Amino acid sequence: MKQTMGHSIAWNVISRIPSEDLKDRASGAHNEWREMSKKKFDRREFLKAMGVSGVAVTVAGCDMPSFIASQEGVEEVVSYLSPEEFVIPGVGVWYASVCMQCPAGCGVRGRIREGRLLKLEGNPESSLNAGKLCQMGQAGLQNHYDPDRVTTPLARKGGKLAEVTWEQALTMIEEKTGAGSSIPKNRFAWFTGTVSGHQGVLMKSHLEAMGSTAHFVHETINNQVWRTVSKDMLGLETPRLRFDKAKLVLSFGADFLGTWMSPIHFSGQYARFRSTPDRGMLIQAEPSMTLTGANADMWLAVRPETEGAMALGIANILIKKEKVDASALPESVLDAIDGYDVTTTSRITGIAGDRLIRIVRHLKDLSPSLIVAGASACGHVNGYQSAAAAMLLNFLLGNIGKTIEPGENFSFPQLRPAEGGTRDLARFAKAAGEQQFDAVFFYGANPLFAAPAHMNMAEKLDAIPFKAAFSQFMDETTARADLVLPVASPMEDWGTHVPAYQGDRNAIVFQQPLMEPLYPGVRGLGDLLLGLVKMRNPGPLDDFEDYYAYLQNAFAAIPGALKGEGGDEDAPFDKNLWNRVLQNGHLEVPGAKRSFDTKVFAPDVAGHRENADYPYYLAPTPRAGFYDGRHANLSWLQEAPDQITKIVWNSWAEINPSTAAKLGVEQGDIVKITAAGGSIEATAYLHKGVHPDVVVVPMGQGHEEYGRYATGIGVNPLKILDPLSDGKTGEMALYGTRVKLARTGRSKKLVKAGDAETQHGRKIVATITADHLRRTEGES
Amino acid sequence: MSLVRNFIENWSRYAKSIDEGGFHEYKHMWGMVVDLDKCTGCNACSVACYAENNIAVVGEDYFAHGQAMHWMRVERYWDEPDIGGKRITETQEHGASFIPMMCQQCNAAPCEPVCPVSAAYHTPDGLNGQVYNRCIGSRYCEVNCPYRMRYFNFYSYYETSWPSPLNMQLNPDITVRDKGVMEKCTFCIHRIKAAKDKANKENRKLADGDFQTACQQTCPTSAIVFGDLLDHDSEVHQLWHKYQTKLGTPRQEKENPELRGYRIYEHINTEPCVTYLERVREV
Amino acid sequence: MMAEKTAQAAKDIDETIAWARINADVLRSMENPRKGYWVALAVCFAIFMVGVAAEVYQYDVGMGPSNLNNPHMWDLYISTFIFWIGMSHSGTLLSAILHIFHVDWRKPIYRFAEAMTTFSLLTALLFPVIHLGRVWNMHWVFPYLSDRGIWPNFRSPLVWDAFAIATYLTGSVLFLYTGMIPDLAICRDNATGWRKKLYTFLSVGWWGDDRQWRNFRKTYMIMACFLIPLAVSVHSIVAADFAMAIMPGWHVTSFPVYFVSGALYSGCAGIITLFVLLRYFFKFEQYMTIPILEKLCKLTFAIAMVWTYLNLIEFAAVWYGHDVPAKEVLIAKFTGPYSPFFISMLLIGMVLPFSLAFQKVRRNPPLLLAISLLLNTGMWMERYMILAPTLSLSFHPYTWGVMWPSFVEIGIVFGSFGLFGLFFFAFVKVFPSVSMYEVKEMVYHRRRVVFDEAEEKLHPATAPATASASSEDGT
Repeated sequence: MKQTMGHSIAWNVISRIPSEDLKDRASGAHNEWREMSKKKFDRREFLKAMGVSGVAVTVAGCDMPSFIASQEGVEEVVSYLSPEEFVIPGVGVWYASVCMQCPAGCGVRGRIREGRLLKLEGNPESSLNAGKLCQMGQAGLQNHYDPDRVTTPLARKGGKLAEVTWEQALTMIEEKTGAGSSIPKNRFAWFTGTVSGHQGVLMKSHLEAMGSTAHFVHETINNQVWRTVSKDMLGLETPRLRFDKAKLVLSFGADFLGTWMSPIHFSGQYARFRSTPDRGMLIQAEPSMTLTGANADMWLAVRPETEGAMALGIANILIKKEKVDASALPESVLDAIDGYDVTTTSRITGIAGDRLIRIVRHLKDLSPSLIVAGASACGHVNGYQSAAAAMLLNFLLGNIGKTIEPGENFSFPQLRPAEGGTRDLARFAKAAGEQQFDAVFFYGANPLFAAPAHMNMAEKLDAIPFKAAFSQFMDETTARADLVLPVASPMEDWGTHVPAYQGDRNAIVFQQPLMEPLYPGVRGLGDLLLGLVKMRNPGPLDDFEDYYAYLQNAFAAIPGALKGEGGDEDAPFDKNLWNRVLQNGHLEVPGAKRSFDTKVFAPDVAGHRENADYPYYLAPTPRAGFYDGRHANLSWLQEAPDQITKIVWNSWAEINPSTAAKLGVEQGDIVKITAAGGSIEATAYLHKGVHPDVVVVPMGQGHEEYGRYATGIGVNPLKILDPLSDGKTGEMALYGTRVKLARTGRSKKLVKAGDAETQHGRKIVATITADHLRRTEGES
Repeated sequence: MSLVRNFIENWSRYAKSIDEGGFHEYKHMWGMVVDLDKCTGCNACSVACYAENNIAVVGEDYFAHGQAMHWMRVERYWDEPDIGGKRITETQEHGASFIPMMCQQCNAAPCEPVCPVSAAYHTPDGLNGQVYNRCIGSRYCEVNCPYRMRYFNFYSYYETSWPSPLNMQLNPDITVRDKGVMEKCTFCIHRIKAAKDKANKENRKLADGDFQTACQQTCPTSAIVFGDLLDHDSEVHQLWHKYQTKLGTPRQEKENPELRGYRIYEHINTEPCVTYLERVREV
Repeated sequence: MMAEKTAQAAKDIDETIAWARINADVLRSMENPRKGYWVALAVCFAIFMVGVAAEVYQYDVGMGPSNLNNPHMWDLYISTFIFWIGMSHSGTLLSAILHIFHVDWRKPIYRFAEAMTTFSLLTALLFPVIHLGRVWNMHWVFPYLSDRGIWPNFRSPLVWDAFAIATYLTGSVLFLYTGMIPDLAICRDNATGWRKKLYTFLSVGWWGDDRQWRNFRKTYMIMACFLIPLAVSVHSIVAADFAMAIMPGWHVTSFPVYFVSGALYSGCAGIITLFVLLRYFFKFEQYMTIPILEKLCKLTFAIAMVWTYLNLIEFAAVWYGHDVPAKEVLIAKFTGPYSPFFISMLLIGMVLPFSLAFQKVRRNPPLLLAISLLLNTGMWMERYMILAPTLSLSFHPYTWGVMWPSFVEIGIVFGSFGLFGLFFFAFVKVFPSVSMYEVKEMVYHRRRVVFDEAEEKLHPATAPATASASSEDGT
């Protein structure tokens, strides 16, 4: 009740655009009434007097915005006849917020009309995505309006989840984990996706209050390995990558246009990288084609697990053939490189020697270059070493400081995202298996879907006495929880976020509700966390009516230097600044320039493991769209054809034609993919963008419980992964699983967009050579 | 009586439009440039189009029947295996080829003359208008469209595609088409309209960048440029000029024939208003 | 004996036959339907109902169930439409064209041919309507006075279709009716009860005096002349639906001629079918004689050859023209998924007619029945093969795709045959399916011919005008 009220009112007062900005959106008539009905008024007094809270709630109930309008300084009460600008019939206004579809943290602007959120677009102010958005971001709308959202708290009664009131739900939590509860220290854990900003702070303080340190942060799609390498070799986890400055990008399976780190930011850089006059060249080496690979000038199907060897081989040729100065490298490294001459490398990697040499020539000619390593290179037992070998090339080619910049320091370490990868999933499985927890809270993560069968996640979850899921949808994990608390969608909630990979300028991204909660029964994460902390540890935070108040207070604490003009140190809360920040959607926090602390070491890249029983590698590639499976319940993304295969509404297995020929499999045949840990079946799609030793089954489908659009569609390749992990970082080796293929004899029509696979000689996508381009547009 | 006068008047107007081959005093000529070298085939434009234009999600079965409705579709082609004497390799040596295809808004549109009821008509802005209310669903326009860029409502999708509360997302500036109606990309005509009204209100001319189409707006690499070809300050006009693509001819006589701009199937004289810039690849 | 038989058989009609006999036979065919008739009627009705059910379903949910999809926006509906339009050309050919050429062997058989014309037109009319996405707005294709000043698009071949078909239907109905007036009068004189009332009304006071006959002849001749260009134009315009489109395989100049010839072809085949059936069921052996059947076969053969020629011309035009997509379509027709249809269409349409070159075949009604049915199947496939391959394979490779019609679509097509059957069965029992007065003319005429020949021997003189007729009918 209270929270809802907090929202509706706070939102009306705070989340606004300045009136001049408003004028060019609103109709003339609108401005007239604004002139006519000006009435100074103290809102809070008014609320007390009128008890508008009730009104607000009921209004919220029938998803209409409540109608208290205000303007900086001036506040006014107007009847619905002359409504708030976001409910004027026919007038759409835009509010800034943040996209929560993936952890990249792009800024968005939402179009609100008649109180409804209609469209999301990138926030031009954001230095991360500069007004652009990917398909997942666009589909954030459906995430908000999803017909299968959880709308009321649910508690497990007699094995089934049944509706309860918030009071009952909160009492349950009180009993299990509250101040009075008997839960011992360290028997409590949070299992979440990436959480940052003040929600992160509150979560930490809740953990402290619980006397626990167990916070598992799980992201199936992550770049922990690459970041660990950066940390070890450059001293910085997230150095700033400058694809736009590079003349050549050599990417070992880093899908930086699709799912790697901050795709939209990198897409912007890619556009500059590709634009004339000195157009960059993209070389992609990966066992299975990603979106980035599909845009590569040169695509190499490298044998899985040998990316590191390839990198070392290239280093070898650079030094031996091209006489690149390697004096900077220590002996140990040079020795490591020595072993990989052209023939050896091409034998190990399966890439023709002449192509390796060509790559090296390009690397030598086109400087500065940028070498990155992503999922398919890092997702092996030697993933760390491969990434390190790739980074080694950056050293050798002197890219450090040119295309890899240190970037600025982020001034608010406490707001930095709590991050993790698949390692935490394994750790959690282990801990849960050892019965370490009496209570676990889940938010923004779906371990049951992501965990391979060998983890027996289901039993381990059941073994936990009390599981509360703070969840927007009824996914696999939520369905197994003892208590389900419906959280507001990102479009209904307050918050601050700090992207792990910052754009050109460090910033805190502000999230504000773009419309009234669709369902009165949902509550914001911040409010819930605040409540939890208060519940466990009464006192410090008690004077915050709601999370919104907490945020404002925290905001007031920002040093004035950051607030720019109009921001002074001692003002407790500067509403103008606050409004300006909400209009921009973010607050830029310049920090001190960082510097590299480089340390080069010899990566020990083992070759690929022969395996007679399971000759093939399973590649559960992430694809922009379903991402790690969290978007499988959005019909737009189900209907949006996969970028590579153009298949919709299902799972499939990408197989190289030569392999298929060997197995006697044809397009549309259903193949059985058997790993040590189980088997799945998928329809075969044949194309040459796959290494013959690899079968690709993109992750994201195969939900057992995830709303009407996702449930029962496709298969989940994560289920049959081998228990392998990267030796150094402990991240799961997603690409390391060995499988064998067999045809089932059955076949199924592939539901895909597009009939012909080639252009049949038409001039549809015409291609010219780069020399040609330089001839015609080079000088421009 | 009024009926008869009406008949005569409209007949003369109609006859006039025949003699002069439709409208010619264009106020605007909306055009597009798509840089295939920048396009990464990420599909954002397509989904943005779904969000903006109330496009129905048909579901797997209907999709399998080829009854999908993506106004903006990103097409993917693999290299020709055996054209230009390329050696056959076991695996791909380059990436794939992507191209976003939307209605090309032809100036000599094959879809317009064949519509029995003039539901497909040429707007004074040079767009291929589609009057949903007028359409009787003879589907001749799609049959005659070389780009196959028109989509037919084979069913009523309202209940199936937007179960509540998804229907709250529907864009009120756009209708939700019912069964039996042909639909297609409109170059976000409602945005054009809004921008025009705004410009009129401020009594100024419509300036380049006053509005963007949904696809252009969201394109992560800004590969799509949209604007008024008649406005010489507009980016799109300058690009057309730079690449020497001209309207009104089936064949582009370029001083420098190597320039990148081309229009798809322009040799069949449909005069599309979308220029594609050739993809560039190192070889 | 043998010689006698052949001589008998060689005659188009036995000129000794009594006129009263003619009336009696024809009127008999119109009366007391046997059980078989009712069964046939019921079967047709059932078939028709299948189509109705399918259409009702499609009307309710939309065009989706017909399996039409993005490349295949048209399919069976339009091809069947063309098929029925084609069937409708036979009647005009026989009654109008042969009439102005004074070919008198047409006389016993043109009536049901005309009926066929009218009814297949009515059936054909359904399809453009059924294939509309919003049937309830079909009237928008007609230029009715609208206060909003909205007119159809007169540049669209579909609008031309609307006009052409409407005109042709009116024309052929009137022609059928006018030609029947004298017979209706005969019926009136022999009928009782409701038939009496009906015929009295329809025969508009015909009592057959000279003035009436003179006017009748004039009108009939004028209408014939008027109908021929109509018949040609109708199918040319249907052809224009395709020739005007820019799609590869359709954008062909020879289409109108090709369509018309195809129409006459299937029409003649249709006549042969009905000829054999009526001859058998109504015992019309004396009127629908073997020699007439033979002539009909020769005519069919000739038209078949024209059609074949045009077909080959089209292939050649595509092959030697440098239109790549069109070539692809042509090749796909021979090799693609539709090739079974296409090749069997070619075999049936081009090779099978050669069987008509043999007299044995031409004189064997059961065999001819089979052949004619086959020919029409072939012609129906031809129409399907004009649409499907082009739609599945046009300019844009991304949207290629093969599509097979669903049961809804097939059901509706199936139902249309039931409808045609209903019409025809109703007709043969209500109206004389053989023109009594013209058969009498024919008989009379033949007697004169014989007489003339006798006279010839006595005093060789300038040949009378009728000699031309006798020489023309090839006996």
